[in-house]
Amino acid sequence: MKKMNKLKKDYEAIEIPAELEDVVKSSIRQAKEVRKKRPIVKQWTIGVASAVVIFIGSINMSPAMAQSMVNIPGLGVIVEVLTVQKLTVDEKTYQANLDTPEITGLENEELQTSLNDKYMEENKALFEQFEAEVAEMKKAGDGHLGIDTGYEVLTDTGQLLSIARYEVNTVGSSSTTMKYDTIDKQQNIVITLPSLFKDNKYIDVISSYIADEMKRQMSIDEKVNYFQYDGSELEFEAVKPNQNFYITTNNKLVISFDDYEVAPGYMGVVTFEIPSDILENLLVSDTYIN
Amino acid sequence: MTKTDSFKIIEKFIIENRESHYRLAYSYVRNKEMALDIVQESIFKALKSIDSLKENTYLKTWFYRIVINTSIDYIRKNQRVSAMDDDHLLEHLPQIEDEFTDMDLQDAIEQLPPKYKTLIILRFFEDLKMDEIATVTGQNVNTVKTRLYSALKVLRIEIGEDFRL
Repeated sequence: MKKMNKLKKDYEAIEIPAELEDVVKSSIRQAKEVRKKRPIVKQWTIGVASAVVIFIGSINMSPAMAQSMVNIPGLGVIVEVLTVQKLTVDEKTYQANLDTPEITGLENEELQTSLNDKYMEENKALFEQFEAEVAEMKKAGDGHLGIDTGYEVLTDTGQLLSIARYEVNTVGSSSTTMKYDTIDKQQNIVITLPSLFKDNKYIDVISSYIADEMKRQMSIDEKVNYFQYDGSELEFEAVKPNQNFYITTNNKLVISFDDYEVAPGYMGVVTFEIPSDILENLLVSDTYIN
Repeated sequence: MTKTDSFKIIEKFIIENRESHYRLAYSYVRNKEMALDIVQESIFKALKSIDSLKENTYLKTWFYRIVINTSIDYIRKNQRVSAMDDDHLLEHLPQIEDEFTDMDLQDAIEQLPPKYKTLIILRFFEDLKMDEIATVTGQNVNTVKTRLYSALKVLRIEIGEDFRL
């Protein structure tokens, strides 16, 4: 078998041309372009849309029920999140679908107005930017551009409201950016990541947990991939002090990373639920996270 | 598993395994440009026919099969057509085996009909298991074994005792 083994070495030594990577990537891109001709609606946006419809529906259909819920002691105020504005563009190669959420029912109206204004302005700015880019593309000939924004209520308990807003940009391939707001409905405040903790130690604790978790996931599932230097050293070093996060119904902290932030695009938005016991000593209180 | 999910997984797989796909294609055509063409065409074919992939566990064999079929098609289109059926061709090869003694093993493999060459590449160079080879080539495991033995016989390789096909 010696000869065969030598041949195997020769086979493995077949020179890989420098252009291979580009050929592969551009082939995938072209194949995608063909696929993009059929509009694809992301599965979860359908879920979100219908969930919102049901939510609005149940409140609207039974005002008596909504009213009685307000009056039940302990249930507290009903804070609603509704779609107030839809901006759509539907041209063959230019697609925009922007849903703006609005929060109602917060006691602190100033806070409520500032959040709602923020949501409105962000989407307005995105829409204007989209229109400007389309105009430019049309001038230059033709192009493909898509934007899709919306939101999802992740947590809605007596105390907490976590809203995720997503923005999906499609230019050839797509990228998703998430923004989260977590509100304490009783205290009427927006919770920030640093505000949960006594000091900055949380950055190291959370970062090292996430780094271990990334390595663990990659070791058990070869389809999971996070950015690495030279294929071994994780590129991820630390979470940002105000890293994207939300709090689940079970009072767990979830850290979120956008497309391409820590992993290749196919991994999408990645989230890590942080075990509460490692945060225990760092938290200001266990009201939100426990 | 949505279609977008499997598309992403396949996309990742293609990018990560591009070098072995290139080598596989290269081993058929021995030409850089042709091998790159084959890789490109295989990607188009694969991404167009995601539906034919039942489970992602078959991703590797599924893509190998596409690369191999594309390579063989490519050879057929771009080179002289061998008029003889592969099986007959192999029967004739041992008659000239004496001339192989001084011949490079590499050349001998090159001379094999594509069907047999594929088996040698997959088994010895790509280290695929018998059942994986069977999946790639669409033959049953016994046929794969028989053909591998005949191919090895032609190549006059003695299989070491500790070596299992």
